[in-house]
Amino acid sequence: MNRRSGPVVVAVKLLLTLMYGVPILWILLTSFKSSADVFSTQSSFLFRPVTTAYVEAFDGALLEALRQSVVIATGTTALVLLLAIPAAYGLARTRGWLPSLGLGLLIVLQMMPQTATVIPLFQIFGRWRLLDSTFGVILADAALLIPFATLLLRPFFRAVPPQLEEAGSIDGASVLRTFWSIVLPVARNGVFTVGTLIFLLAWGEFLYAVNFFLSPGSYPLSALLAQQVSAFGINWPGLMALAVLTSIPILVVFTATYRLLRDGLTVGAVK
Amino acid sequence: MTTQSAPVGAAAAAVRTRRTDPAGRTGRRRPRQVRLLFLLPAAIFLGLLSLFPLIQLLRMSVSAVTSATLNQSWDFVGFENFAEGFATGQSTEALQRTLVFVLVVTVLGMVLGLAAAIALRSRGRWSGFLLALMVFVWALPPVVNGSVWKFLLGDAGLINTLLLDSGLRDAPVPFLYDQYWALMSVAFVNSFAVIPFNALVFRAALMNIPPETFEAAALDGANRWQEVRHIMLPAVRPTTLVLLVLTLVYGFRSFDFIYVMTYGGPGTATNTLPFLGYLQAFVRYDFGLGAATSVVTVVGVLVLAVVYARSIRREEAES
Repeated sequence: MNRRSGPVVVAVKLLLTLMYGVPILWILLTSFKSSADVFSTQSSFLFRPVTTAYVEAFDGALLEALRQSVVIATGTTALVLLLAIPAAYGLARTRGWLPSLGLGLLIVLQMMPQTATVIPLFQIFGRWRLLDSTFGVILADAALLIPFATLLLRPFFRAVPPQLEEAGSIDGASVLRTFWSIVLPVARNGVFTVGTLIFLLAWGEFLYAVNFFLSPGSYPLSALLAQQVSAFGINWPGLMALAVLTSIPILVVFTATYRLLRDGLTVGAVK
Repeated sequence: MTTQSAPVGAAAAAVRTRRTDPAGRTGRRRPRQVRLLFLLPAAIFLGLLSLFPLIQLLRMSVSAVTSATLNQSWDFVGFENFAEGFATGQSTEALQRTLVFVLVVTVLGMVLGLAAAIALRSRGRWSGFLLALMVFVWALPPVVNGSVWKFLLGDAGLINTLLLDSGLRDAPVPFLYDQYWALMSVAFVNSFAVIPFNALVFRAALMNIPPETFEAAALDGANRWQEVRHIMLPAVRPTTLVLLVLTLVYGFRSFDFIYVMTYGGPGTATNTLPFLGYLQAFVRYDFGLGAATSVVTVVGVLVLAVVYARSIRREEAES
């Protein structure tokens, strides 16, 4: 691209920068305001920054919610990878009506609206005594995300040359062993990408958490935020402080994996 | 991350790579099929926690189930729940709202996604920063994005303050509590959340165009618009079809921004089909009615899934 950007391109970029920059800036600014400042001049840049919102937000309940978020997000990621990795590999290396049916089912399942699955799961978990338990929420989240993870992992396993595995099996390695020590290391980028995405999605999931936990005391951060923002008489600085605290782990994960996300998400579209 | 924008989307990419088929080419078909066993754990898990719930949903939709009878045996009522939903007009109205909502999300998401991809094609600090910013916002939980927009669109929020101060309006725009504005506002925020993903996918397709093509076009004296029209649009055409279906599905099943920003209100103004089913089950405790509404939603998704599968196949045939 040796041409200079035209006025239209600059206009589009300006619009997008405002559209995506302003909300982020606003969360930060508001979280450092006092309630009085928000009500008098909600949109001003000039205000005395206070950390009241953070001090008030930081109590035992918040730490408990943070702990719940960490447990749910890591637990879900581990469970999803444990089941989706072998499934994706199996689908990448077999053919016939069975894998085709499996693929079709996965496409349908990953498109299912979550509001439709939460209704029967509520009843089933009630019968299985999994309501109000963190494990139940992890199971539900994993069921929600496994189809997506499997479909996204499959092309990474397809990209592993089958000759590598044949060499392994000639040397006398079992299927399981070639998978573990040859295929998995080659496809590790895909596993990292998918693992990151699952973590991000599980961190933000709130519908299962709001409905399966019977008291807000066990809510993760996302559910706490969803509960407070749909209540009347919102304490905006407090809410924005909570939003910032919910987003910090996302920022950490994002910073560490941005390149992987940017290129891995579109792996099918590029190659 | 608008929960499922990513999931659904990335899968498109996933399925799209099916070009070469390494399995079965060596002629040693039988030993390879041992790998079907790798599917077993996930199959059992999904059977119990995805397929079984869907069967329960179906059963519930043809039964009278309230919170009191949820854990007892259900009375079979046939299609009464479905009939009730349509007779009271709830389902019909929700269906109309859903269609408007999906239309807005899809048009904005596709057009701005492509515009962003074209604008971000240039290298440089600004483009790099903007792309990272957009992907970061996309990765944020929907509750966070929804909260901020609820704040920005409020009566004394930034947008209304700007409109009032600039003299464009003399009263605040009721973005979130007017019947018509509310649906549009939530649809806008939904597309806001899906644009970064669409831009990433379009961008990947644009990066695939060999630089020589642009050089040749420049030699021929093509202007910018002609570059877009004759080089970029044809290059993204196969991607567009798959992405279009994914964006449709994303809009159709969306509920998180509605939950956070309006909770279906004001009145029933933002009750789209998926959200109506949820409200009927968990707010009015009529699980049978909620299940019936959800079944209608599921049927809609199934139709889109078939369209999706066909568009993938067609794209593969073309490439």
